[in-house]
Amino acid sequence: MSDLAFLPGWPPLANQMIWVGVVLVAGIAGGELVQRLLRLPRVTGYAAAGLALGPGGWGLIDQPLVDELIVFADIALGLVLFELGTRLDVAWLRRTPALALMGVAEALGAAALVFVTLNVHFGHEPLVAAVAAAIAMSTSPAVLIRVAADLRAEGQVTERALLLTAINGVVAFLALTVLIPWLHLEYRGGWLTMLTQPLYLLAGSLVLAALAARALLTLVRLVGKHAERQFIVVIGLVVLTVGAAVALKISVLLTLLALGAMVRNADRERHFMVVDSGNAGQLFYLLLFVITGARLDLGLLATAGVAGLALVLVRFAGKALGVLAVAPFAGLRFGHAGLLALALTPMSGLAVVMVHETAALYPEVRASVAPVVLAAVVILELLGPIATQFAIRRAGEAGADR
Amino acid sequence: MTLPATLEFKSSEPLTLGVELELQLVNTRDYNLTRGASDLLAAVAKRRHPGDIKPEITESMIEMSTSVCSGPEQVRTELEAMRAVLVEGAAQLNLGIAGGGTHPFQQWTERRIYDTPRFRHVSELYGYLAKQFTVFGQHVHIGVRSGAEAVRLTHALARYVPHFIALSASSPFAGGADTQFDSSRLNVVNAFPLAGFMPQVADWDEFEHYFGEMRSFGIVESMKDFYWDIRPKPEYGTVEIRVFDTPLTVARAAELAAYAQALAASVREDLAWSSHPGQHLVYNYNRFQACRFGFGATTVDPASREHRPLADEIVATLTRVMPHAERLGGGDALGRLLTAAAARLNDAKVLRDVLEKRGSLPDVVRAACVAWQGS
Repeated sequence: MSDLAFLPGWPPLANQMIWVGVVLVAGIAGGELVQRLLRLPRVTGYAAAGLALGPGGWGLIDQPLVDELIVFADIALGLVLFELGTRLDVAWLRRTPALALMGVAEALGAAALVFVTLNVHFGHEPLVAAVAAAIAMSTSPAVLIRVAADLRAEGQVTERALLLTAINGVVAFLALTVLIPWLHLEYRGGWLTMLTQPLYLLAGSLVLAALAARALLTLVRLVGKHAERQFIVVIGLVVLTVGAAVALKISVLLTLLALGAMVRNADRERHFMVVDSGNAGQLFYLLLFVITGARLDLGLLATAGVAGLALVLVRFAGKALGVLAVAPFAGLRFGHAGLLALALTPMSGLAVVMVHETAALYPEVRASVAPVVLAAVVILELLGPIATQFAIRRAGEAGADR
Repeated sequence: MTLPATLEFKSSEPLTLGVELELQLVNTRDYNLTRGASDLLAAVAKRRHPGDIKPEITESMIEMSTSVCSGPEQVRTELEAMRAVLVEGAAQLNLGIAGGGTHPFQQWTERRIYDTPRFRHVSELYGYLAKQFTVFGQHVHIGVRSGAEAVRLTHALARYVPHFIALSASSPFAGGADTQFDSSRLNVVNAFPLAGFMPQVADWDEFEHYFGEMRSFGIVESMKDFYWDIRPKPEYGTVEIRVFDTPLTVARAAELAAYAQALAASVREDLAWSSHPGQHLVYNYNRFQACRFGFGATTVDPASREHRPLADEIVATLTRVMPHAERLGGGDALGRLLTAAAARLNDAKVLRDVLEKRGSLPDVVRAACVAWQGS
């Protein structure tokens, strides 16, 4: 045996650990470069890094690596949805019902225009177009929360954008919950599924959220007013709840939003501190955006880019109409209403999940409408955060640069 | 710009009152200061109310001021009417409004300056002080006939500055910590070059001479540039007391105005009064004691050279000027101050008790918001 057997072979065998590190380093570097050089949002840089390292770029991020990292991204998504849920201030909505109306109006406005475009203009089947329209309602919670946090934004446009994001997420979920059984009926038949599935999704999510909220508030009282420990309680329950929702095949989105909202609104004595997940959560968020970026398929732009762009534009038009129509009743200045509509532009990685999930169940969707929606997601994954950042800055709600 | 050679002192009805309150705007999530002044102003713009609601140096602050009032009752009525309008506007925007001399845990680096030429000028001149100056005070104006009366009253009120501080102190927390001071706000004010007490001018002529000198040095442009604890305000015809922290309730704000008015009334009657030569020597010590210890302070009487508990002094003085207050319609208000002084209970204590009970500073701000809304 050689005396130098302690040396690795050449080239050394790479392991997953190295690639995880590379992904993190590339993500953080991408975010900083994009922010410093181009003054664009960091999350755009994370997504760009993911795109560069993903199958469409160097191919460094492959399926096994994604499998390794997906748990972090799922935790990040859970945290984002939970935080968004805590923004659903029921007392505020009760005082200013016009806000709730605005949330529904902008979601329906977007859905209506998207539906008409896909159905009438591009000739997709009504049901399939409706599914795409429902998906198009929702704004990306992760982008909104991270861009606002990164800018240290405080103000009416930011607050309302976050609230409306929570509302349109719920509306989108409800619409899909109603539509999917219709798909089922259309393509598979079976009345029982059509009636029971939405009920199961809805009731299951709410019951699970209620249990988790009670557990969270109990634990929070136990650890007392310590931000760090409360954050661990949040992580623990968010992970647990995401896992349970997946196991029970109920909606992660609705469950986590409901969990946040219940914690916010049931905690009258305010035992739960608002936990700044920024520092500890940063790692999760970075991986979420990198992975979302890696999953983007630029090839779609060639095949469905024009249709995707059309979708982006009519979706924005619909949201703007909804916001502007209700703005006079919601105490919002006209200029701010326009910025608010712009801030709601980002489309979520969640949309990708929704499309894939629906497509997995109903291949008819995959063939027809999925490429258009996914192309819109590609466009908005890169441009959406920029729109949000612009809107917040323009409204004068960004804090000093960190 | 050509400036008038002398300061024109506008005469006004003696003992009339005006109150300005600087208020905190917070979010209702974590109760940190938020940006909302312009939105809130827009929201209340169409509502009718007495007095005036206007922006202040940062987007996190709003100021409400009464009109010229005859007495404490009118002050309270006007403040309550403006509060109602503000509370409604704030509810629509999901903002919280609170009194208190400081925000307990805001970071001054986060503040943004309200975009007007004067505030931009102040910001450029004073640098970080301008942003640290995110503190919240109550100003009480007392009407006087002439500049001479104003100078006399300003000097006469000097010995009561510790009273004003202890009674109004509501800024025990700053930067996320207990400062050990009952009023930490005044420590921030002290950093300004023209803070402290008015110089030892004997009458209005000397005052005008002093002002003329300062202006010829190019140090000041107007009375606005003096950050004194108490200053004559020629354009209003008043003496303005500026050492009060904004109290947690509008009721307390009206009570403090009643006390200032009763003191001024007693000074007007006491024709033999003259300033004790030692008063300006003990001034800063007594003021520090009141800031640091509130009702627990021990202050020096320059005449007797005795150190006395401030709370006892306050109780004695309140009792002495009570007849004036009763005549001016502020008897009940002074009665409540008397109870508070006897129990040594100021807003600083109230806030510390909330922290003790609830365990976090956001809870403290939340309690302050509830207190400010009244019942």
